[in-house]
Amino acid sequence: MRLEFDDGTLVLHDAPETVPYAEWDDRVDEYRAQAYRYRALLDWAGHWTEDDRQATLQDGFTHDIEDAARAYPDLALTPALQIEPRDYQQAALDAWRAHDRQGSVILPTGSGKTFLGLQAIADAGVSALVVTPTIDLMNQWHATLTNAFGDQLTDDIGVLGGGSHEIGAVTVTTYDSAYRYIDEYGDQFGLLITDETHHLAAETYLQIPEMTIAPYRLGLTATYERADGREELLEDRMGPVVYEEAVGNLAGEFLSEYETIQMSVELTSEERTEYDEEYQIYRDYVDSHDFDIWKEQGYAEFLKRTSYDPHGRRALVAKQRAERIARTATKKLDTLDNLLKRHHDDRVIVFTANNDFAYDISREFILPCITHQTDTDERTEILDRFRSGEYSMLATSQVLDEGIDVPAANVGIILSGSASKRQYAQRLGRILRPTDDRQPARLYEIITTDTMETYVSQRRRDGVKSSADS
Amino acid sequence: MSDEQYRETAATLIDLFETHLGEPKGDLEAAIDELTVDDTDYKIVQGLAKLLTDECEFEQQAAVDPREIRQRLFERANDRYPIVRQPTLGEDTQKLEVYSAVADELGISLEACYRGMYADLDHNKRLVRFGEQTVDGYDEDASDTSTTKLTGNSKQAYDQTEQTVDWLLARYNLALAQAVLYDASEMRIRVWDHFGTVFSYVKLFGLMHRIYPIDADGTRVDSTDDAAGYEAELDGPASLFRKSQKYGIRMANFLPTLPLCDRWEMNAEILDDESTSNSHQFTLDHTDGLVSHYSTGQRFDSDIERTLARKWERANTEWELQREDDVFDLGDEVMIPDFAIEHPNGRRAILEIVGFWTPEYLASKLTKIRQVEADNFVLAVSERLDCAGEDFGDAADRVLWFKTGIHVYDVVELAEAYASNTEMDRS
Repeated sequence: MRLEFDDGTLVLHDAPETVPYAEWDDRVDEYRAQAYRYRALLDWAGHWTEDDRQATLQDGFTHDIEDAARAYPDLALTPALQIEPRDYQQAALDAWRAHDRQGSVILPTGSGKTFLGLQAIADAGVSALVVTPTIDLMNQWHATLTNAFGDQLTDDIGVLGGGSHEIGAVTVTTYDSAYRYIDEYGDQFGLLITDETHHLAAETYLQIPEMTIAPYRLGLTATYERADGREELLEDRMGPVVYEEAVGNLAGEFLSEYETIQMSVELTSEERTEYDEEYQIYRDYVDSHDFDIWKEQGYAEFLKRTSYDPHGRRALVAKQRAERIARTATKKLDTLDNLLKRHHDDRVIVFTANNDFAYDISREFILPCITHQTDTDERTEILDRFRSGEYSMLATSQVLDEGIDVPAANVGIILSGSASKRQYAQRLGRILRPTDDRQPARLYEIITTDTMETYVSQRRRDGVKSSADS
Repeated sequence: MSDEQYRETAATLIDLFETHLGEPKGDLEAAIDELTVDDTDYKIVQGLAKLLTDECEFEQQAAVDPREIRQRLFERANDRYPIVRQPTLGEDTQKLEVYSAVADELGISLEACYRGMYADLDHNKRLVRFGEQTVDGYDEDASDTSTTKLTGNSKQAYDQTEQTVDWLLARYNLALAQAVLYDASEMRIRVWDHFGTVFSYVKLFGLMHRIYPIDADGTRVDSTDDAAGYEAELDGPASLFRKSQKYGIRMANFLPTLPLCDRWEMNAEILDDESTSNSHQFTLDHTDGLVSHYSTGQRFDSDIERTLARKWERANTEWELQREDDVFDLGDEVMIPDFAIEHPNGRRAILEIVGFWTPEYLASKLTKIRQVEADNFVLAVSERLDCAGEDFGDAADRVLWFKTGIHVYDVVELAEAYASNTEMDRS
């Protein structure tokens, strides 16, 4: 029997009728199996051994098999930065190895899932594909992997997604790009790592693990359960949950101390006029209709209306314009000016939720800048330089969190941010660390008075408080 | 939106793109957004704009690599912080000094340095080509070869613009149908002409097929000899295991092939986003007015075929030559012989010409030929090829060897000898 990888599946040439996991394909008159059965098929034929991965004739083969499917190389990698794994990270890795290097690990957000991924890549010793839900996360993995393994690989870390299409022995991608291209590359990786693996259970994404032959699989997540209960499907494709660390066990351990200082700015009279005009259009529309805009359902109703009611559409645009005016108020730049003066010797990260604003600031104050548009490559370089001290300041419109790649800063300045509770808490927790000889790290939040921002900021801090309480 | 409104919107957008030639992409996008402010049909505007953007080329305008400029700026700035807007004594010239020092280093002007810093950002790139209209000094060789070119020019007559509106709306209709197909799990097509074109696109887009010969009414028949057309079920390798939208993109890419046919039907199963248990049927045919922008390819693969067809027209024989009239299903591929030869009395033979090919291509062709199971399948083979009668398997006796060109009457003789009697076959 000859195993061949074909467009995300395995064609089993000259297979006996007893072959498991396979279906007869009358289109080509051969047996065909899903690619993820690769290891099970080798195992069935007596050709799978865990340690040297090459069974020998002395073991006796149950079935003769020619493996023309495997196109992934062995890799001997050691993370460049020898960080001692924390106890639970070591325990998670051990548990994964004990489960034949298949399965998912549940670790709380911010507990070093990426680090565990690095350990797994070094341990499995084969080429690896890392799949993440967002381009942000993909970029963070890229930076981390480049730091850890960059010098040991002949090629760069591959990037598939966000406009790049480079495949390397270690490659990062997003769920969307992986779904689109996995049938082409499903034979090239021996280890599949899925970050935020609970996303994988979606009907479409499930085909990512199905269409790869990778005999080793690691799922990482903080929240394995899904509302729809589909996590059961993950077990078949990725292996069982092999390790779980509860949130409570880690709480407080890595959250650094910081002090929040809120600063207010006014709109200029021109900005105020425009803001009030736009806000009024929005307000009038909301007030003249029967839904509560502050509730999730009410907001959904509003959005629905904007697709068929021209006034609703205008109201939505008005809301967006008003928000933008508040977010990018020119006086924020004056305040930023003062803060940069005060902290010119510190390590400062400036956040904005708006790409254009980040570039304006970058030009004005000559700060290195990272946005969603920044190449993965340049992003990694800028963060490297920030880590090494070559750069001491950074402007970004991206969420830098959930990873070990983000270098510490002792001053954070939020010019505008998203109201998402979780995002905000993570931003703070991950990035701010007090420097050796200084007082606690500082977080400045610059908000525009008498605008929607005042409300958002309040909600945001409530969010931090409640998640810290839990 | 009424037809007239569609045409108006299309014309407005085309005009917008034309007037933004040479302008930054960000400005063009802002102008498009402005059209959608109190328009609930904003999705249509955005969809049309997307298709027009596909016809555009944007170019970065910088004398020096922007990344190089900013890296030097940041390196230099790092030693000079604070660089601020409201300077206290001694700090007021920092910003200017950094910019001009880097400009001098790179040998560019201060303005070029400031503007070039982020010239590679998408919204700072300039529109240099829209369809066939370009900015002055546009270097055609330096640009990528584009896909479809627009016809018409703003300086030309009104009816040219009309044509462009038609073009845009035709593409839009096709794009809408393609968008539906992204969630398709299976596509079923029926075609009655252009078989070669259809199945070469099936292969190009990586679709798998099951093929059934059909008659003029679309009813399945036993033999390709009786076929007026072909029905094909199209999906992908993993469709064997479960219904999947995975191949929807391939089906969407394939769709523009169908309007190349004079008569066609398409039916697709469309899955609901998150659950494969719910599905809808999506049906289209040649009466729906879709227009293709794909190419039908060359009518003839080789000079030998073209010459034979020309000679046949002048020859005195009742046998008629039909181009690519049969489709043999060979599992993962199809074999479409070059010609069918038909007599008014119903007799019919299938002809494949094996001309001047590379050894690799010959080997794969022979493999295909040996798989064809038809007694009326005859071949014309060049004597110059490195192959012998036994290479043709069951068809070995039905080979006509030729030196430089094929004579019509030799082929007729072969047809007389091996043609099937379709009337008889049917009984």
